[in-house]
Amino acid sequence: MNINECELPGIGRKFETITANNDRIVIIIHDDGNREVYHYDDNDDEESISGVTFTDQEARQFASIMGGMVYQPKTLESINLAINDLIIEWHKIDVKSPIANKTIGEYDVRNNYNITIIAIIKKETENLLAPGPDSRLVPGDTIILSGARKDVKRIYQDLLAKGRD
Amino acid sequence: MDHLIFEVGTALLIVAFAAYFAGKFKLSIIPFLIILGMVVGPHAPDLGFIDLRFIDSAEIITFLGRIGVLFLLFYLGLEFSVDKLIKSGKNIVYGGTVYVAMNFILGLGYGFLVGLGFYEALIIAGMVSVSSSAIVAKVLVDLRRTGNKETELILGIILFDDIFLAVFLSVMSGLLLSDNSSTLSTVISVLISIGYMLLFFVIARVGTKYLNRFLNIKSNEVFIIVVFAGLFFIAGFSETIHVAEAIGALLFGLMLSETVHSERIEKLVVPYRDFFGAIFFFSFGLSIDPRTLGDAIWISLGAVILTVLSNVIAGMIAGRNAGLSHKASSNIGLTIMARGEFTIIVANLGIAAQLSPVLKPFSALYVLILAILGPFLTKESSKVFNLLNKVFKWQEPITKKSIKKKIESPPDA
Repeated sequence: MNINECELPGIGRKFETITANNDRIVIIIHDDGNREVYHYDDNDDEESISGVTFTDQEARQFASIMGGMVYQPKTLESINLAINDLIIEWHKIDVKSPIANKTIGEYDVRNNYNITIIAIIKKETENLLAPGPDSRLVPGDTIILSGARKDVKRIYQDLLAKGRD
Repeated sequence: MDHLIFEVGTALLIVAFAAYFAGKFKLSIIPFLIILGMVVGPHAPDLGFIDLRFIDSAEIITFLGRIGVLFLLFYLGLEFSVDKLIKSGKNIVYGGTVYVAMNFILGLGYGFLVGLGFYEALIIAGMVSVSSSAIVAKVLVDLRRTGNKETELILGIILFDDIFLAVFLSVMSGLLLSDNSSTLSTVISVLISIGYMLLFFVIARVGTKYLNRFLNIKSNEVFIIVVFAGLFFIAGFSETIHVAEAIGALLFGLMLSETVHSERIEKLVVPYRDFFGAIFFFSFGLSIDPRTLGDAIWISLGAVILTVLSNVIAGMIAGRNAGLSHKASSNIGLTIMARGEFTIIVANLGIAAQLSPVLKPFSALYVLILAILGPFLTKESSKVFNLLNKVFKWQEPITKKSIKKKIESPPDA
């Protein structure tokens, strides 16, 4: 993405870009801290069809949402950590997840998916480290699992994700 | 004397009222302050219970206004940077030159045409050439046009215009404030003001390192005292060598503009600039007897028409040169024609030098009209463009039909 930057003396700075979808977007950062975002007409690139103004605070918050940087542990559903091909992921068990209310052994996660469940973070009771095959997963639990990228992807699709929507 | 604070307080109340009112209607506060200043003042009838003539406090209000000028120009100096101008590119330099040259030459010609002397004509040329940075920036933000293509060019031209203002004020103050009437002493006095200006430029360039170190003050309290002391001292000192105090303030700002502290100073100065600046416009209004406005009405209207035309034409030339459409180019002139603080400051220089008394009502009317008409035409720029387009036929009128046609047959990529 090509971003043009220029100074607007007495007002602030202007950043201008055309997105892959051919939308002309202009962002103005005012010296007083406000930000403005304008979107221009596809046919007439001199007529802005919409514009929003953000305060400094709003702009920062918005930027972190846009950038996917929001980190709010309370509502955390999943995060992952990758070391070469090894992935460690956190997943919250949903009521509708296939694995909810089942034991790890019932799906034989280790053999079927080549995945190790490292720990189960229980909401009410004690957390389980290195849970055995008879450990039961209750909705609301968060499981920490590790494995190769493709295996993690598969277990997520088969056992965890379906209950998401 | 007991009522001094009360009188100043009353004046501030009027200023606050004008500011509040202007804010409510999203208009520049400058015309409101001038009008209210004119309505009250020594020419107003004494209402008895409250004295709106401000006779005892006139001196102190004028003084506070003078401080306003210092802050306005100090801030202008701070904002101003030669690097910025060099980086801004040829379109801005070209547009700025066309803009300033056209307005200045037409203004000078107009001054002679209405039968004024050489110095008066020069002052008028200066007045019609300097756009109001404050009004233009406000209008652009209020109308949400900061993202538009032409805005870059508009603000660039204004930056260029401000530099012209600095040079013009320096030269004029040398011309007008010299005490002798012989040509030689006038030349010397102009050379002194130009030399004085260059001295500050050199200090700003060479001394940045030392200024940075010297101003590296942690405490805001000490920092602001040091900066303001410098501002007032240098402004006052300049006056003693026949360089207007406003220029002293401008040059001091310029000297600090290249330092790393310039942003911190700007932030500290803005509230002072806004407060004392408002008093300046009010005190300018106070100094005008509304009955003298009639003398200047025709000459002001003529100058307004001239300014509107030359701004639109210069804006069109600058915009087309930068590759903008006719519509965007017409916006340039319509936006940039607002006149305000700097026009009054130029006029004040002429008034201080006791040039023709018509300058005062002329400057008041001229600024009043353009401070209101400028933002109005900016707001209605589409209508103005459609009107112009009918005459010049630059482009097919924009209708729903033509947009539809465009969508059906997209231009080749």
